[in-house]
Amino acid sequence: MEFTMKKPPIVQNSESSLKRSFNLHIALIIVSVGAILLKAFTAVPEDATYTALDQAFKVFLMLAIGVGVSMIIELFYALSEGSTKKFESYEGFVDPINSGLLIALLLPTITPIYVLVLATVVGVYVGKLVFGGYGYYIFNPALVGVLFANVSFGSRLYVAGTPLELLKQSMSGSTYTFDNVLELFIGNYEAIAVGSTAAILLIFVMIYLMVTKVIDYRTVLAYLLTVGVISFIIGWVNGFLIDYFIVNMISGFTLFGAAFLVAEPVSSPTSRETKYIYAVVIGVMMMLVRVLGNEAEGLVFAVLLGNMITPFLNRTVKRSNKKGLIKTISICSVAVLLMGFVLGFLLQDRLIEAFASIGGII
Amino acid sequence: MITEYSHYLEPTMVYIPITDEDYRIANVVVASGDTVKIGQVLAHKFKGKNKLPVVATVSGKVVEIVEKMDRFGKIVDHVVIENDGASTMVELPSLKDDVTTAEVRKAIETVGLHKVDVDGLFTTLNFDEPIKHVVVSTVFANEPFTSTNYEYLLNNAADIVDGAALLAKAAATSDVTIIADKSMPSEVVDELGKEIVNHDIEEPTFVDTKKVKGWDYKVMQGLVKEQLSINVLDNGILYVHANTCKMVSDVVRRGLPVVSRNVAFTGDGLHKNLVLDVRVGTLLSDVVKELGGYVANQELNLHIGNYLTGVQVPSDDFAITESVDAIHISVYDEVEEDVCIKCGECNDVCPAGILPQNIMDAELRAVGERIFDLHTDECVECGLCTYVCPSKINVLEWVRRAKRRVG
Repeated sequence: MEFTMKKPPIVQNSESSLKRSFNLHIALIIVSVGAILLKAFTAVPEDATYTALDQAFKVFLMLAIGVGVSMIIELFYALSEGSTKKFESYEGFVDPINSGLLIALLLPTITPIYVLVLATVVGVYVGKLVFGGYGYYIFNPALVGVLFANVSFGSRLYVAGTPLELLKQSMSGSTYTFDNVLELFIGNYEAIAVGSTAAILLIFVMIYLMVTKVIDYRTVLAYLLTVGVISFIIGWVNGFLIDYFIVNMISGFTLFGAAFLVAEPVSSPTSRETKYIYAVVIGVMMMLVRVLGNEAEGLVFAVLLGNMITPFLNRTVKRSNKKGLIKTISICSVAVLLMGFVLGFLLQDRLIEAFASIGGII
Repeated sequence: MITEYSHYLEPTMVYIPITDEDYRIANVVVASGDTVKIGQVLAHKFKGKNKLPVVATVSGKVVEIVEKMDRFGKIVDHVVIENDGASTMVELPSLKDDVTTAEVRKAIETVGLHKVDVDGLFTTLNFDEPIKHVVVSTVFANEPFTSTNYEYLLNNAADIVDGAALLAKAAATSDVTIIADKSMPSEVVDELGKEIVNHDIEEPTFVDTKKVKGWDYKVMQGLVKEQLSINVLDNGILYVHANTCKMVSDVVRRGLPVVSRNVAFTGDGLHKNLVLDVRVGTLLSDVVKELGGYVANQELNLHIGNYLTGVQVPSDDFAITESVDAIHISVYDEVEEDVCIKCGECNDVCPAGILPQNIMDAELRAVGERIFDLHTDECVECGLCTYVCPSKINVLEWVRRAKRRVG
């Protein structure tokens, strides 16, 4: 009897990329629903002309439009390529929906709808489809779209009085204390993105994604540790330890990035050592922008920079072994500690003073 | 897990391949019409100066010499013998107790025992190069999951450990490592342990076979403390299976040539799955007829050997030799490959510590220099990268292509 010589019946484990996409899908939907509910219960300013329910509807509208535009672009692209077969089942729509949701979640409530549409078009088409679609892009598509929106329509997306901005102002004289840490955890405040506020929900989702292997736990933990250590040292050097640490860890894009952006597999490096370097570079860049830059939030730039150096990182590594791993981790830890101290002293223009004191000791 | 055991030892015809991958030239010494006994030399095969006999596995009349596909899919000459069922044997010397290195080597050579374990890192019984370690695996990894035939180990513990000791004697070394399964029942461990103490061999190394992650590579790397080559004989390791030890013991102690082989028949293409004791030289088609044929009207896949590193062959018209440990016949199931999502799991799992994903990337871009840089030559083709891939990509095939590109 004749047998087929097509693919050999090699046994593979039960993991599957599609399952991972679905898990990410579920996580994003949870966060989206969380964002809508949160907006419905957030107190609005007394002089505002809108109610909390209006805000919630706006968030829903943003999410729906992001998803719709993303799906339409992918469909048109598939039509132009003549390959609409994958859209016959829901599986084909998982990735377009994920991109649309991510872009909508990364923009603030006050975003004009046309900005959202443009951001989605740029993110999905320029960020993803130009490179060949899912699996081939080098920059995180959602962040390409968000960066485009932030650079082109910065003034329309500006949200005043976010915790990070207040913290930044407090560095240069004005005082700001956090009277309610619980509010920060729940996410009951106006922020630069609709999806990035509910810290507890994001931590839960992050753990879910790590357990289901959608994101690599090493990248996520190295990134969180970097941000944590640097903000801790800055706070310690400048004398407001707890406030600086907590606000940097749980507000802004820190947790949202850890769950969805930093460890996104396609645009991050592939081997153990490079994953650590990549995470540390992103953490350090983010803190650099937060401390020294004009913007209050630096994750978008940091992740895109990390994506940019990913091919280079992949090229530097030749094989992975224990020795190289230990070397990488120790160099990364020293770099993070050093960066923390330098930033901490720089913030108060005390760097020269610090150098002088080190010189004195020597 | 297979629980059914049976035997099929009296086929009407046996087909003995007279050359193999290493020994490519053969000189037939019998003619059509000759009557042969079990263990009688049919041909001599040559690899350079090395000469090895090919022996008959049944007694009977030589019918003809035909060209036929062997178990690797190559067309080679086979001697066809008609079985008379009498099982008359050639007298071979049987050695008791104290044996010398030369005696063991000679006994193994007389029956042409050479290539028994072919999958993964297993080596041939080759004593030309100096050997420092003899490693024996008692774990059977011949199904779509790792499963051990504990009954076989329990019944043959004495022969297996004796065979391991004989191999160490032949290799002129005293370092024998037996790899055992952590979940092995205690009576098997006791039985093996008793024999191990009798032969003054070190304690077995226990591995966790529930996780598929290249434990034999780790054990051997721990022994030699260097990067393993694809043929671990180069590292001074003779790595064989418990079955081979039993064969060696039979040959040396009892003067019995290798006439039968335990083969695991698995897969949904067959009506029942079982371990069958098969006469060496039996055609697979005859065995399957005996087992009740294939599942009807399906496109089938035939795979010989380990589920990660075995070979796929296009036809069942080949003779089962002593190197066939498992046959998997399954209904062809088209699994679509997704794009590589660059999760890096193949890079994490690789026991040699190289980066299959990066090698695949370099191969896709056809950069020979980069492939060379990535230590592609250290790949031992264990297939774990393919096993863990969530996108169901055959990563090993890409690494093989990369190897071929750089030569």
